Amino acid sequence: MADAVEQRPGATVVPDPGSEPHDSSRTHVTGRSEYVDDRPMLPGELFCGLVYSPFARARVKSLDLDRALAVPGVICAVTAKDVAHNLWGSIFVDQPLLAEKEVHYAGEVVAVLGAESRDALAKGLAAVQVAWEKLPAIRTIDQAVAAGAFIGSERSIARGDASAALAAAPHRLSGTVVIEGADHFYLESQAAVAYPRHDGPMEVHSSTQHPTETQHVVAEALGVPFADVVCIARRLGGGFGGKESQAAPIAAYAALVARKSGRPARLAISKDEDMIITGKRNPFQIRYQVGFDGEGRLLALQAQLHSDGGAYADLSTAIMERALLHCDNAYFIPNVQVQGRVCRTNHHPHTAFRGFGGPKGVAMIESILEDVARTLGKDALDVRRLNVYAPGRDVTHYGQQVENNCLPELFDALETRCEYRRRRADIERWNVHPANNPRGLSMTAVKFGISFTTRHLNQANALVNVHRDGTVQVSTGAVEMGQGVNARIAAIVAERLGVPTVAVRLMVTSTEKNANTSPTAASSGTDLNGAAAAAACDRIRARLAGLAVQLRDIPGDQWPSRVGGLGTHAELRVGDTAPAEPVTFADGRVTVGGFSLAFAELAREAYFSRISLCDYGHFATPHLGFDKVKGQGRAFLYYTQGVAASEVEVDRFTGEVKVRRVDMLMDMGRPVNHALDVGQVTGAFVQGMGWVTTEHLFYDADGLLVSHSPSTYKIPSVQDTPRVFNAELVFNPGNTVNVRGTKAAGEPPLLLSLSVWTAIRDAVMSVRGRRTGHAELVPMAIPATAERVLRALEPEAFATVEAS
Amino acid sequence: MRDHALLHVNGVPCQVRGREAFMMLADWLRKTKGLPGTKIVCAEGDCGACTVLRACETPGVEAGSAPRFDAMNSCIALLAQMDGAHVVTVEGMQAGEELAPAQEAMRRCHGSQCGFCTPGFVMAISGMLEQHGPGPVDARCARNHLTGNLCRCTGSAPIVEAACTVRVSERHAVRPRYATAAALAASRAAQAESMLVEHDGFRFFAPVTLREACTFAAEHPDLRVVGAGTDLGVPVNKGRPMARSMLSLHLIPEVHESRLTRSAVQVGARVPLSQLRHLCDEAVPEFARFLDLFASPQIKNVATLVGNIATGSPIGDTLPFLLVAGGTVHVASRPGGKGPVQRRAIPMTDLYRGYRQLSLQPGEIITHVTFERTAPQQTVRLFKVSQRKDLDISTVSAAYAVTWQGKRGRGPRQIVEARVAYGGVAATPIRLAEVEQALVGAFDAARAEQVAELIARSIQPLSDVRGTAAYRSVLAANLFRQFAGEVLHG
Repeated sequence: MADAVEQRPGATVVPDPGSEPHDSSRTHVTGRSEYVDDRPMLPGELFCGLVYSPFARARVKSLDLDRALAVPGVICAVTAKDVAHNLWGSIFVDQPLLAEKEVHYAGEVVAVLGAESRDALAKGLAAVQVAWEKLPAIRTIDQAVAAGAFIGSERSIARGDASAALAAAPHRLSGTVVIEGADHFYLESQAAVAYPRHDGPMEVHSSTQHPTETQHVVAEALGVPFADVVCIARRLGGGFGGKESQAAPIAAYAALVARKSGRPARLAISKDEDMIITGKRNPFQIRYQVGFDGEGRLLALQAQLHSDGGAYADLSTAIMERALLHCDNAYFIPNVQVQGRVCRTNHHPHTAFRGFGGPKGVAMIESILEDVARTLGKDALDVRRLNVYAPGRDVTHYGQQVENNCLPELFDALETRCEYRRRRADIERWNVHPANNPRGLSMTAVKFGISFTTRHLNQANALVNVHRDGTVQVSTGAVEMGQGVNARIAAIVAERLGVPTVAVRLMVTSTEKNANTSPTAASSGTDLNGAAAAAACDRIRARLAGLAVQLRDIPGDQWPSRVGGLGTHAELRVGDTAPAEPVTFADGRVTVGGFSLAFAELAREAYFSRISLCDYGHFATPHLGFDKVKGQGRAFLYYTQGVAASEVEVDRFTGEVKVRRVDMLMDMGRPVNHALDVGQVTGAFVQGMGWVTTEHLFYDADGLLVSHSPSTYKIPSVQDTPRVFNAELVFNPGNTVNVRGTKAAGEPPLLLSLSVWTAIRDAVMSVRGRRTGHAELVPMAIPATAERVLRALEPEAFATVEAS
Repeated sequence: MRDHALLHVNGVPCQVRGREAFMMLADWLRKTKGLPGTKIVCAEGDCGACTVLRACETPGVEAGSAPRFDAMNSCIALLAQMDGAHVVTVEGMQAGEELAPAQEAMRRCHGSQCGFCTPGFVMAISGMLEQHGPGPVDARCARNHLTGNLCRCTGSAPIVEAACTVRVSERHAVRPRYATAAALAASRAAQAESMLVEHDGFRFFAPVTLREACTFAAEHPDLRVVGAGTDLGVPVNKGRPMARSMLSLHLIPEVHESRLTRSAVQVGARVPLSQLRHLCDEAVPEFARFLDLFASPQIKNVATLVGNIATGSPIGDTLPFLLVAGGTVHVASRPGGKGPVQRRAIPMTDLYRGYRQLSLQPGEIITHVTFERTAPQQTVRLFKVSQRKDLDISTVSAAYAVTWQGKRGRGPRQIVEARVAYGGVAATPIRLAEVEQALVGAFDAARAEQVAELIARSIQPLSDVRGTAAYRSVLAANLFRQFAGEVLHG
């Protein structure tokens, strides 16, 4: 039964069957895709600009806007006094939209100007007089811990008796992992345009991942009911989490200016302002102790996680929760005690970024496994393979069973596909020669939990309108930001209704059509909104199926479209449940028994029978049951899993890193669009690669970000894409819990970029070990910049220079 | 005297004057011309989202074949500087509803996700096609043409694939469509006349003779000579004030000239780096290789060597090389705005007085620069270290030029002259005289190590966003160790 073996989930790679391009690809390549700041300027529309703090913490002694307002063309200024409810926040309502008496981070906004031209705006901003009084600031996690400055309470997850198991373990290691932040660097900086419709609600076009929250924050800022604000998000030039919460204040600023001036107002901040003002990936500092046996089997883990939350809560507590939930990653650890605390510092309020805390927990455990292997003189892959979740060892530290687990198969398949053993031996030989630039190889895994850990966010709604020509319009709360959520939902709807994908159009995301939506985040866009759209389709389908069954028995010349206008025949009625008889919707046709008609024809008949062709679907993710207080339960609907092997070469003179080869295997379930999934996989990997290597946030002594543009903040370029880059998807039909058997793709592959970091450590430790003659565990902060790598390779040279 | 600049956008002639002339091209395209396909992200020429194609004729050169369309960053180009340019934006690429080859390839290869960088990549690939012609493109070539563009979604692999598999289409070729005889004739006619555009106390002057230029320079002590302006647009976009008086040499034929003599390379002030690179191919191969490594095509298609020199940044990429290659700056002036044009030469070693301070007299204009060709008994090596390998500002850069005595034989080779220059370790790019003296004589591994340690001791770099002082010191020594290893073993 060769077939049976081949069909093992996780063992078989599926080729791209020929995927449809992204639904916006044609307008993207012709420059016709409209983003917020591409909207034509209306007569009288104002350009907005921000006045913000250059200091991490300061008292606002005075804020003088008179000279700015005297500049010709400057029309209005907005300060805290103009805001109806000046506090907002996704979890804790603790952040002022406009600071008044004191600022708590460099970049915190105190005023907004609106001007008729950009020249006038620039002159106006230059004329604003603010007297700041610098105050002592908390700039590091250590300072915050010492000062007892925290956000929220401590959270912990535990299983077994970690202390006792550690004490009894044959081997123990302890260490600290330092992880710095990273900027999202979405290409489209934050932007919003607000139109004060005098005969209707305030209409805000926002580059936001969360139109509903943006709508609510704008309404509260203006002091109007939610119904008086509509938020529209056509598409985003990238989001990556950075526009989940932090788009809302930008929209509110534009709306406040629009309301005060009575004119349309546009706020499209520059990249520099964006990077200075908005929060980043939370920096983390993790102290751990781990116990293991002589084989390398993990016995116990204790870890204390601290994150830098910045000045306000934003999403940091939820991010910490996900970090705690991912401390195990792909590995079974019988005794676990992990606890996390978010520190309040004077940095921009840190926020969601692809992975949402998951990467921090995973960085720790993957680094630990490398160290366990080196300590025992074993290959790290063997140690990982020994610890990976497997039958009998498949319950996480928070008590959720790892269902549909294909991690062991993924490890085995990639080991063969990437020729791990041969390359390991080659690298051993290569690294012997001191004149060679050292190389490192490492394979890491990901098991990413899919669902918002906050239960109520796991819901979505969708509006599906079938038109009389058989074409379909779908509106959901999902925001298209490049990930292809619209193309995926279109494919799901097309499949459900049996029409070609081109017959399905995804409409602009607007709170007018879909209210009370969740952010397009947590990789859940397609899962939630696709399922809601599918639910709406099912209701339409049920009615259409009922009608098709009846039409079969009626001569064509007596169909409703022929006779409905005359009222000579009794009207056909259908119920909301599908008929017992099987009706198929495929290839643009609807078939029941031997009878078949075009979907468009059926739609027309439905209209003439006064049967609704439109419906609204609501979806709430089932089975979830995670008790946040106890830290136990089913936190996720399912897991997206994958493995990656990275090989790097380190320049021994400069510390610069080159990623020579990457092989990835991802389990995406049954993809609805193969190419879009591969695009997410490779894109997320390279984005993560930047985070662990070259992306370095550098602040000045006052706490102002200095690396606030691409000349100083280096995301990967085309030259950095691994020269050999194999990203493949495996066959796994077993994920039946999610819509259409797909799996979420957005975040999980990013975590695999940690294999680049562990490979760099592998190269460094291989050199150090050879030089010192014993296994040396060399800590390496994230990002492993060239300087840090060279420092790790040549601590003596740095010591000499620094001593002189 | 013209009171406007003339440029063509997607074949349509546009006269810009007054306030408009002082806008950046990208802003003007987006907000004034209704062409929002061109995107602005960084406003500093580092991301390529604003890439357009530009062709420009060289004044004084007889009308011959139509000029080539090259990629450039439109976000840092003052509209006045676009005088005589033929600009093509992403909106101009399609032929009817039929996608241009770069557009079709990007679509087919799934090279676009969020779409914000996409127009820039489409234009960069199109620029590659204009330069490269119909032959096959390998991944290396494709990457080199796309170094100036950033994508945050795709990881770039599908974009490189698009560039490698793009199929040339005659119908979409840019040159015949947009460099039409009529358009070229119109810009040639305009270029025969000097240009002065003014607005709100700002003036931008482009004379057709050097004499006029020197007169203007003598009369405007606050003058800023604008070359390609790749360093001018950035501070303006970042809110720093623009110079009130700007002088562009683009209508003066002599500054477009470059040539090789038996022992030297001469480069006019308006010769773009991409052109210089070809000139250096054989004359100074190491410099040609180095020119491939830094900056993006968009920058190198417009930026000049003289601009790099005049900016005088301590980390100017070409400066360490010029310091070890006998670089000499040639200036012209008309003191008091009277009499004939006077010229003098300043060795690069005497040029820098302090951080971005040059030893030029007021009113002096750099017309060209000369530097030595590499001699047969000479080894020249250039290094650059940055946070990211490509398109990044140096943390430290180094240039070594050593002249050997005799041929390689048994025993250590003798160095008769050594020149060692560094960027990024002081307020200006510097030569290390003590190190150079220590290198003269027999060169072996022991000597190399002594010199490396001497280098680390000779410099007092600063810590900044790109690295700590200690890293710079270790790097400076290590780069020399790498150089020594190459000449001793390689």
